[in-house]
Amino acid sequence: MEPADRTIDESELGLPSEPMLLNVGPSHPAMHGTVRLVVELSGERILRADVQVGYLHRGFEKMCERGTWSQCFPYVDRCNYVSPMLNNVGFALACEKLLGVEVPERCQWYRMVLGELARIADHLTCTAAMAMELGAFTPYLWMVRARDMIWDVFEEECGARLTHSFGRVGGMAHPPTSTFKEHTASVIAHVLRLLDEVSRLLLNNRIFLDRLQNVGRISAEDAISLGWTGPALRGCGVPYDVRKAHPYLRYGEVDFDVPVGTAGDCFDRYVVRLEEVRQSARIIEQALARLPDDGPISIDDPRVMLPPKSEVYATIEATIQHFKIVMEGLKLPTGEVYSYTEGGNGELGFYLVSDGSGTPYRVRIRPPSFLITAGLERLITGEMMADVVPCFGSLNMIGGECDR
Amino acid sequence: MNWVEFTLDAAKAVFVVAVLSLGIGGLLTWADRRQGAMIQDRIGPNRAVLWLPKRLAQALALGPALLVAAGMVAVALVSRSLAGEARTERAFVFGHLAVLLVWLTGLSVSRVVAARGVRSSFDAFVAWIGDSRRFFFAGLVAHGLVALPGMTLRGTAVGHHLREFAFGGAPFVFALVAVFGAVYAALAMERADKVGLRIAGLLHPAADGLKTLFKEDFVPPNADRFLHGLAPIVTFFPALVLLAVVPFGDTLCFAPNAAGVLDWASLLEPLASVPAGGTCEVGVRLQVVDLNIGLLYVFALSGTGIVGAALAGWSSDNKYSLLGGLRAASQMVSYEVTLGLTVVGALMIYGTPRFGEMVAWQATHAWGIFTQPLAAILFFTAAIAESKRIPFDLPEGESEIVAGYFTEYSGMKFTMFFFSEYVAVATIGVLMTTVFFGGWHVPFLDRDGFRVAIGESVVAQQALSHVVVVLLGVVAFLGKVILLCMLQLTIRWTLPRLRYDHLMRLGWRLLLPASLVNILLTGLVLLAVEGAGEQILAALAVLVDLSMAALAVGALGAGVALVSYWLRPVRRTRMPRTSAVRLAERLGGTRTARMGA
Repeated sequence: MEPADRTIDESELGLPSEPMLLNVGPSHPAMHGTVRLVVELSGERILRADVQVGYLHRGFEKMCERGTWSQCFPYVDRCNYVSPMLNNVGFALACEKLLGVEVPERCQWYRMVLGELARIADHLTCTAAMAMELGAFTPYLWMVRARDMIWDVFEEECGARLTHSFGRVGGMAHPPTSTFKEHTASVIAHVLRLLDEVSRLLLNNRIFLDRLQNVGRISAEDAISLGWTGPALRGCGVPYDVRKAHPYLRYGEVDFDVPVGTAGDCFDRYVVRLEEVRQSARIIEQALARLPDDGPISIDDPRVMLPPKSEVYATIEATIQHFKIVMEGLKLPTGEVYSYTEGGNGELGFYLVSDGSGTPYRVRIRPPSFLITAGLERLITGEMMADVVPCFGSLNMIGGECDR
Repeated sequence: MNWVEFTLDAAKAVFVVAVLSLGIGGLLTWADRRQGAMIQDRIGPNRAVLWLPKRLAQALALGPALLVAAGMVAVALVSRSLAGEARTERAFVFGHLAVLLVWLTGLSVSRVVAARGVRSSFDAFVAWIGDSRRFFFAGLVAHGLVALPGMTLRGTAVGHHLREFAFGGAPFVFALVAVFGAVYAALAMERADKVGLRIAGLLHPAADGLKTLFKEDFVPPNADRFLHGLAPIVTFFPALVLLAVVPFGDTLCFAPNAAGVLDWASLLEPLASVPAGGTCEVGVRLQVVDLNIGLLYVFALSGTGIVGAALAGWSSDNKYSLLGGLRAASQMVSYEVTLGLTVVGALMIYGTPRFGEMVAWQATHAWGIFTQPLAAILFFTAAIAESKRIPFDLPEGESEIVAGYFTEYSGMKFTMFFFSEYVAVATIGVLMTTVFFGGWHVPFLDRDGFRVAIGESVVAQQALSHVVVVLLGVVAFLGKVILLCMLQLTIRWTLPRLRYDHLMRLGWRLLLPASLVNILLTGLVLLAVEGAGEQILAALAVLVDLSMAALAVGALGAGVALVSYWLRPVRRTRMPRTSAVRLAERLGGTRTARMGA
């Protein structure tokens, strides 16, 4: 694709002209209702762009400091409203790191399957929304249908389709249901089929390629200096994936590849996401095979885990244990910890400080989206107005975790 | 012009506006909504419902059916005295009509029973037969059984008895089944207090239109009120009057009276048949006006659509509107050039800008798609760009510039923009049909009936009466238009949006040179054909017939493919029944269940 026609200098036309200041968002279809963009336009070309975030700031980190550790789970859920399970697992892992425990094997595989399902849901949402914002409506409906099936799995597992609050420090709220393996396997098969259809439709389409290729380019150095991680960084050719670089759970034992791009443009970010869905499906397949059918789902530690409800109602010991954990919160040892996992958009870090009481002293979330959105200005300056859409879409900015 | 002609012209104008503009526009709105609903597995436009009191609904079901049955019996009684070949033909038609109605009724009842469950012993019988497709296949077999004796047993005693049997029995079977179906429907309504009239969701576009009439008409405080109000009218009006010059059927011939002009009495006597290639003295053109500038009128009017979009963008006092208006103006002006140049080739071949004569040329020679294939593709592309729909919907570009030039429009003014887009789709279909797809022409259909011939060798022949031939033409025209509209709909649901500079590059660097090349090539071919010898001309004539044969075979094949596609059972992925599904079932419905009336 050749670059846009930008050879005409307006001063040659002999007409007085000045750039138009356009306020895009936060109530604008492309801005997902969460970002404001002030652009200076010369015709269709963006001369200057000012990206303003913070419209979805809800004070989650501060709110975490007034409850117990377990009460943080709903907040981290709402940080990322496209792959909340990854946040759940990430936060649970951080707490467990501070606690110095490791969950049983069954729980580890279970968390991996759920996490990868959430990742697929995330990537499907992002790629679908991007196609739709470029005007291709059918792929959007196809992919959202696939995502809905994944949400059916979550609904069956934990009762909620979006905000699961399913993770617990030291395990999960429930063991997998009896149909979990069968259900997940059939959903994944269907998702991959839909994905193939969508890929065939979009990736052979000249218009779609023209809209993405060579648009919103960024070099690997720039991306690293901005602190980018995840698919956006891998699109630039940097094969950094927390799951490979610093394996957690059982990621070291499964076989999967880290797809990387070459050009660092919107198309690479798009294709990397599509391929990651397939890799996630591979991980799920292996994890399902190794997920034990029985065994404990949580650690066996009465100081951490709530006793079963039947015992709470029947025995005084369990009642007291339940009361203490619920009212005082589980006591994480004094200290601080930084734990990081691969979220939907990159490295999702939790920096926890505990003063030994039942309440977090500080919960700092390192969202991948915040740092990635910082690069938007660089991506769109000098591009056309229409390029804002694929550039912003390919970053998959999640307002909840960016603004927290 | 006398009163008869005036009345006819008014009727034609109403027909064009109602069917071509509003009808197809409404149909497209419906199809767009239905497409989205089907993919998302939610309730589509079927929600639009007109509640009728039970008795009225029953009367609506019974009345027409009784009339049809009575009419059938009357026709059977009137044609009792026919003899010979005419009697055989009539028996043939009666037999097929009866079979058609039987399997259609069976299929409908079977679908109803499958949807709402068995309620009576008859329902149980229908359910026992099983899948509703079986009625269709049984119907096909029955049609074959009716047709077979007509071809093999003609002239034998058995054939004679069979003919008399069909002649006497079939109309009464038809009447009985019609009445039975209506009574069955009326009885099915008996349980309800009121009956919903849905017409497959076609009421939805009407409801949409009605709704927007009552919406607030918002004008931005600093907008130019006059221009803001003028813009939708300037956009809507040309879209409506554009189709006046397009012929939607062949000339309908009437028996000439003494004065040689059309009067009320002669309207009742259309000619029984017109010889192939013959003309008639007293005829009614199925075209509102036959302007001698034809195609130029269309371009002139569609050019004013640009003004509407630009005005809307300018007068709204909104930067997004301004961007949209600018995009609309530059895009439409650019593609207007290509649009005009692509039809130059067609004008060179047809030698006239009049649509009627273009269709006549295509009927006697070959369709434009064969003589001007490149121009057809270019014209279609440029015309879609003119209609401002995906992939050329930059002027709206809802994810980039909110809603483009009609960002600040609401209520009926918005609907006028919205609807003129749909009418533009219909217009493109009509223009493509008329210029490149033979207008109302049906392959091998002459003025006196079907005559399948390649070169000199006649393959098959079937005489038809004049009115039937003209009606077939009208139906073919509408069918072609709807097919082309559906093609545009498919494009709209498949392709992403172009970027502004890509759009300009496509228009000026690809389509424009290609259309110039097309003119050059057309000129060369025309010169070559003029200088060609007898043999080459004869070969060309055979080629023309072959092109018609290819069209006929293609259309039949497409029809068969479509029917078999519809008949194929839907393949659903089997998923484990989750607890949510089980709960829904326990509560008396599943997630895929329909919403109750």
